[in-house]
Amino acid sequence: MSAVIAEPTAPDTAQRDVVFDVRNITLRFGGVTSINDVSLQMYRDEILAVIGPNGAGKTSLFNSLTGVYTPQEGTITLAGRPGDAPRSVIGEKTHVINHMGVARTFQNIRLFPALTALENVKVGVETRMKAGPLSAMLGLPYQRREERESTERAYELLTLVGLRSRANELAGSLAYGEQRRLEIARALGTNPGVILLDEPAAGTNPAEKRDLADLIRLVNREHNISVLLIEHDMKLVMSVADRLVVLNFGSKIAEGLPEEIQKNPAVIAAYLGTSAEEAAGEVETQPELHTIADDTANMTSLDDAGATTQEETP
Amino acid sequence: MSASVQRRPGESILSNPLVGRALGCLALSFVLALMIGKQEGTQQDFGLAFRQAVLGPRILWFLLIGVLVFVLLTFWPRVQPYLNRPGIRPLAVGGLTVVVAYALLKWTDSTAVSDGKFGTLSDAASQTGTLAPLARTFFTAPLPWVLFLVAFAVGAAAVVIRRAVLSWVGAAIAVLAGVWAWYSHSLVQSLLGSPDHSTGALVALLGFLTIAAACAATALSAEESANTRGFINGVFAWRPGMPLVGVALLLGLAGFAIATWFSPGNRNATLVDTASMFSTTGLSPLSKAYLGWLGYVLFALSLALAAYAAYRRDARLGWGAAGLGLVSLVLNLVALHDISAVGASTAYDGATGAWQNLGTGGWLACATFLLLAGAGYIVATAGSERGTIARTKADIAAGIGKIPGKSKALILFVLAGALFYPPMATPFWQKVLVSEIGIYVLLAIGLNVVVGWAGLLDLGFIAFYAIGSYTTAYFVGALPIQPPEWMRLSPLLCIPIAIIICLIAGVSLGAPTLRLRGDYLAIVTLGFGEIIRIVAVNNPGNFTNGPRGAFGIPQPEIHLGPIHIDWGQASLQYWYLLLVIVGLVILAFNRLEQSRLGRAWAAIREDEVAAQATGVNTTRVKLLAFAIGASTSGVAGVFFASQIGYINPDNFVLNNSILVVAYVVFGGMGSLPGAMAGAAVLTWLPEFLKDQVPAEDRQMWIGAVILLMMIFRPAGLIPAKRRAAELHGLDEPSSAETTAVAANEGMGATK
Repeated sequence: MSAVIAEPTAPDTAQRDVVFDVRNITLRFGGVTSINDVSLQMYRDEILAVIGPNGAGKTSLFNSLTGVYTPQEGTITLAGRPGDAPRSVIGEKTHVINHMGVARTFQNIRLFPALTALENVKVGVETRMKAGPLSAMLGLPYQRREERESTERAYELLTLVGLRSRANELAGSLAYGEQRRLEIARALGTNPGVILLDEPAAGTNPAEKRDLADLIRLVNREHNISVLLIEHDMKLVMSVADRLVVLNFGSKIAEGLPEEIQKNPAVIAAYLGTSAEEAAGEVETQPELHTIADDTANMTSLDDAGATTQEETP
Repeated sequence: MSASVQRRPGESILSNPLVGRALGCLALSFVLALMIGKQEGTQQDFGLAFRQAVLGPRILWFLLIGVLVFVLLTFWPRVQPYLNRPGIRPLAVGGLTVVVAYALLKWTDSTAVSDGKFGTLSDAASQTGTLAPLARTFFTAPLPWVLFLVAFAVGAAAVVIRRAVLSWVGAAIAVLAGVWAWYSHSLVQSLLGSPDHSTGALVALLGFLTIAAACAATALSAEESANTRGFINGVFAWRPGMPLVGVALLLGLAGFAIATWFSPGNRNATLVDTASMFSTTGLSPLSKAYLGWLGYVLFALSLALAAYAAYRRDARLGWGAAGLGLVSLVLNLVALHDISAVGASTAYDGATGAWQNLGTGGWLACATFLLLAGAGYIVATAGSERGTIARTKADIAAGIGKIPGKSKALILFVLAGALFYPPMATPFWQKVLVSEIGIYVLLAIGLNVVVGWAGLLDLGFIAFYAIGSYTTAYFVGALPIQPPEWMRLSPLLCIPIAIIICLIAGVSLGAPTLRLRGDYLAIVTLGFGEIIRIVAVNNPGNFTNGPRGAFGIPQPEIHLGPIHIDWGQASLQYWYLLLVIVGLVILAFNRLEQSRLGRAWAAIREDEVAAQATGVNTTRVKLLAFAIGASTSGVAGVFFASQIGYINPDNFVLNNSILVVAYVVFGGMGSLPGAMAGAAVLTWLPEFLKDQVPAEDRQMWIGAVILLMMIFRPAGLIPAKRRAAELHGLDEPSSAETTAVAANEGMGATK
């Protein structure tokens, strides 16, 4: 595959604090290579979006970063919260990586449906607490204090995502968009330095998408949490992301600022299923990729475009 | 009815759906006729059972059932709207209760009446000349059934037609029939003159009262469809604490006026009789005063105070009522102790110590004072309950929000029963309470942690019970290999050691099985349970003494300074020990469920991957579930070993593990009160049925109860809130209106 890899062009990257440093990771399932020699850096306090057609390896990348999968080759180091020393995450358990400051949401919502919204968030908050079973059984004062603190923190987070009034509803009975926001609140509850959002806008309506974009910016700017975002909705991605990484067939085909990516022939080829050279010609006639995305926004994703690409590309 | 009347030529008459249904119903009645009644033929005549079932006139009853089913099925759409009418469910329950009382239950324990069932008793009673005419009339052959059928039919008519007059007539007939049955039965009992613990008459009275309540509900309710839960909520919400006062009034009247306080030589001495009986003995002045007048005064005072406090919702008066109730309770216990001690000092009726030969009255009075004290407490604390509280009538009827004092009132009812019912029970039931109900309730509480809260199916739970038992046997020196002298312990001191050993055992079972889920985990734990039992049988290093097990395990005892408590053979004392243990475990586990560990368990049960990604250390959380469940089971093992005195591997078979799982599922997985209720009901039922049905049929009846539960309450007797959501809450629309989130709510901070 003759992919053109754009150099990262974000300003003064050299001085910036690196959160995730991914170097040459390869992840295989039997004979299928899901991620092929991908390297990327994620910097402190940025919103980095990972895009690509279906099957490009985005979620596999997320799972490698959070310890669900262990890549066969390459290294991943993490400095989760500001001031942390970089540490390898390869082979670490998911909950350990979470404790290192990485929180995530899931592509298909994975809440605890039989717990209330408040309890869902509290599960996240409480993983940072100390009280053990014995102090809970005896009702020791410091356990009660922790309990109060976690309730307060959970209410704060529910207010942040706009679910305060739904705190005592069962998570399973919330509306779809509310469940998405609750998942973000639960992830924030673990006091992360970086949050990984896996298609947070899937299945939401335009108004909810705008709210979501606001929320992502708020989390990033006000709470100083770095955001790694997988999203198919190009309008959302282009509006919130500081930088983009494009994957296709498990390889990184482009990286750069949103406006650069929109003009990148390799990216357009990947999405439209034409060769890079043809695509380069098309850029003249159709300079902005996100207009294509707008047309397909109702499909919630560019899945179909991606699917056709896979069949046609050798 | 969508049957096509026109038939095309050539089509058989069988293809008409109505005909098919009718044939099916008749076939059903035929099969039923074959199933019910004697089954076996004789050596000479193998067709006897068949002929008895089919050729006798009784087949007509079964055919009638078939026809009824057919009619019901055919006209179902027209019948259905009536099934939601107010009163229909209590009517059905009441009718069923009376039928059970008439057909199944014993009406007397006296050996003078062969099987003690209603039929036998009424035949005998109607021919007994010495019986009062009123009772004889009641027991004359068709009358009791006629009374029941009339009451039921009038009640049913009232539900359908909804005429107030009809309802009140039905209620009057039902009350009359119930009281008449109760009165006639008590006359028969005083004639037979032997101690009696049969339940038939009481159950029949309750059934008739339920029918009466159904009639009253029909007359009083304005709505078209029933809302039983809303009604009950309304009763509890009217004045917190008042339901307790009402029940206490009934119990107190029964206790102070009717019931036996002291039973010398099978004589029933009420409070008045007892007072005169002890007027000349060396009873302490306080107890004498209590029996003579103080008891009545305290009852009247604390009742009035609690009722007034509840009515005015006055917290201070509430505390006053609570205090007065408790003081009265203590005085009552002192009086009970004194009269039984005096009775024992004169070796009255073979008594050897205090607390013997007491009747039900004193204990009813105890329950009364406890409930009144509880009512005062509820009044005092109702104002300070936290959480969403139902305030409007609509909320109360719909069951949205908490009803202040409701759960406390229910807990107090259970507590009063647990404290003061056992002394009234027969020795047989006291034994069942301890060695079946109590122990299995404790085991079910432990297993509920593993299965209900953490969602790990454990089929080898009884292994920890065995480990607890053998630990006790070792440390008290009842096994071939003796501990060093300094390590010998009394049974109660074995509890912490058993807890620690079972914690270790739980972790060592949990650790290798952590990767397994569902069925696979069940198989491995099942294997673990069998390994422990077979190790015990195989007697490695002569430690477990093989199939003969350990004997001579001493009874528990406490010697602490001036306190000396020695548990002997009597079951009742063990019951109170068990009550203390279970109470402590419930308190601890209730807190645990509301703690971060409880939520982490729910999280891994719901979605393990998400729990991990949220930072829950699933390994640790699962191991804790195994360890905490196992140590509860170990405590039960210590109790079992020292209560029964001997153990062998046959006490710890696979069947027991499966039974405990069944109790938890039956009661409601993940619900602490549910698991306890499930264990209590399913251990009580077989013992109860022993007297009521032929031994071979016992399992069938238990099976029927479980089947009915699966149909009508699939989530268990008392479903857990969290589990209930899992089972059906997700499809239901959320209770509150889905309000649109205001544009900037939460996202706010747009500076």
